[in-house]
Amino acid sequence: MNLEKVIFGFFVIFACTLNFGFFIGEIDNVKVHDAGHLFAAVVVNLIALVMKFGDRTHIGATHLATSMVAMLQLLAASCFWAWQVNINDLAMTGETMSTVVSLSGGALVANLISVILLISETLRQTR
Amino acid sequence: MNEVLFVILRRLRRPLIVLIIAYAVSVWGLVLIPGVDENGNVVRIGFFHALYFISYTATTIGFGELPHTFSDPQRAWTIVCIYLCVVAWAYALGSIFHLSQDQTLRDAVARRRFALRVAALQEPFVLIVGYGQSGIMLARMLDRMGQRMVIVELRAERAARIEIEEFQYPPLFLAADGRLPDVLVDAGVTHRKCVAMVALSGTDDTNQSVAIGGTVLNPSLRIIARVHTQIAQANLESFRNIELINPFQSFANNINLDMGSPERLRVIEWLSGLPGGVRPEPLNLPKGHWVVFGSGSFAEYFVSALGSAGVTSSLVELDARKQGENAALQYQAGVTREMVAAEVRKAVGIVVCTESDALNLATVTRARSINPEVYVVIRQANVANASLIDASMANLRFVKAEVVSHKARQLLTSPLLIRFLKYLDEDSGDMARRTGELLERHVGEKVPFMWVFDCFASYAGLREALAPEVDPPLTIGDLLINPEHPPDRISAVPLLLLRKKKEIPLPAEDMQLLSGDRILFAGQRGEGELQRRFLLEPSPLAYVRTGVEPPRSWLFRHLLQHRDS
Repeated sequence: MNLEKVIFGFFVIFACTLNFGFFIGEIDNVKVHDAGHLFAAVVVNLIALVMKFGDRTHIGATHLATSMVAMLQLLAASCFWAWQVNINDLAMTGETMSTVVSLSGGALVANLISVILLISETLRQTR
Repeated sequence: MNEVLFVILRRLRRPLIVLIIAYAVSVWGLVLIPGVDENGNVVRIGFFHALYFISYTATTIGFGELPHTFSDPQRAWTIVCIYLCVVAWAYALGSIFHLSQDQTLRDAVARRRFALRVAALQEPFVLIVGYGQSGIMLARMLDRMGQRMVIVELRAERAARIEIEEFQYPPLFLAADGRLPDVLVDAGVTHRKCVAMVALSGTDDTNQSVAIGGTVLNPSLRIIARVHTQIAQANLESFRNIELINPFQSFANNINLDMGSPERLRVIEWLSGLPGGVRPEPLNLPKGHWVVFGSGSFAEYFVSALGSAGVTSSLVELDARKQGENAALQYQAGVTREMVAAEVRKAVGIVVCTESDALNLATVTRARSINPEVYVVIRQANVANASLIDASMANLRFVKAEVVSHKARQLLTSPLLIRFLKYLDEDSGDMARRTGELLERHVGEKVPFMWVFDCFASYAGLREALAPEVDPPLTIGDLLINPEHPPDRISAVPLLLLRKKKEIPLPAEDMQLLSGDRILFAGQRGEGELQRRFLLEPSPLAYVRTGVEPPRSWLFRHLLQHRDS
């Protein structure tokens, strides 16, 4: 068993599951989408992104690209949230939440592709 | 670019993850721990404020407790945050500074910059692989001629010398192994402005790899490689674009020529000296028995050259590398001092060609003590030891770097001359004598300047003269008339005519010229410029051929036509 592969797989899948946890639920229902979930998704995605740095293989490059997409979407979602609630001083509304959730939904797709890459890479491995 | 970026990213992976985790844990803790506002209500810090607080706390800026004064549990957590984040930052910054000092990264950056600068070169340049003694000499010569250079040298300390030496046009250089194809590509082997590659690195093996690598990467590139042995020479001779310099062989060949056909050597040396210099005198090597002290291919070339000149010689194996410290003059097993002394006593000349200057000097001194009248040919192994070798008062000196750099310069700057010299060398007739007479009559005693006259119909000055119906047709002799003063002749001699694939050495002056011909001239300084006037506009040529200055303007041309008809 390769510890590095375990940690790598862990973060890639964890990023996906956390994001899914935030995303699931009615899109404009403020109560079912928690800020903590989004924060956790951002942090784990960031770590997953950094772990993919510096891999020069083709599949590594695709991995990095999907992570960058996910990160971009999640950062957009959190910035939008912080902007509306903390800077514009508006209460969290269904509209704001639906924008945030749809952005995170995009990130979720990228995360899913990452997971698919991970699985296909594992399946390709023959001993 | 990629190379450098990847190295940085890979090295910074761990510090970045540590930073992210430290921030995340700190922010998370702050969000979870409840605080109290001025009115005693329980309030929690949002993610936005928590990130704000941690950002200025972690970087030790410290704006204070915002947005409300902290409760005690929050303060306890802040202590943890400060140590966690400050340590994480210290680690990250340390890694970044360490990375900037890292040799791998610096090499990658240097390589990248070098490749970019080579790729951006707009002028024709010569690529030199190997910056040893010959490389340094060649680089200086080419620099004086204004030739741009790119230099690749394996040893970093030698490559660094390029930076401190004075060049008119500082060459681009890289400390890397020229045997690696990607190094050659970065150094511009496939660059369209690369004129030629010169392989001058230490050993024949390396030079072979470099030369073959270069010719494989760019089959149309001219490559000049130095070789020392016959094996390497045979290996490389099969490649069409690789030209070889064998300093040992060419020196031994000169010795042979001096004994066998001094006339030919005299003309060859005369043409290949430094232009404007004094004509070299014949060596007049004594004929008789010779003793060669040395080993390896140089000694072998010498012995065979002496043999083919019809002179007897004996070889005393003397290898500087095999010597012990105290055994400066031990000879090959079975050869005693007395035998060597007897050889030297009956010899008219000795050749001392080991790879150690000290050993060479010692050998010469010993030989002189046995036979003071002996003619001495000495090899100077290191350029820096010139004054040592001066002290030996040798009659003739061989410096490998000089022979190599001189030959390489010639190959690079006057390839047509090299072809002519080849004809001269292979000719068994009286070509050398004829060349010598022509040079003496028309050019004089000095070493002539060389130039190539391109006889192309695309030049405005030649278009009319090269037209098929012109009578009499243009000949080489026409090009030798002084355009400023037609009764005079330009002080030059046509040495070689190049017509498509055909080469005609010493073309006759009444030879007809066709468009596409290239002619190598040897002549006095400045005569080439005079001749170049024929190229630019038609009137000089018409004037020297007919003695009439043709009218140039439209009006006068019409008047002339009118008068003729």
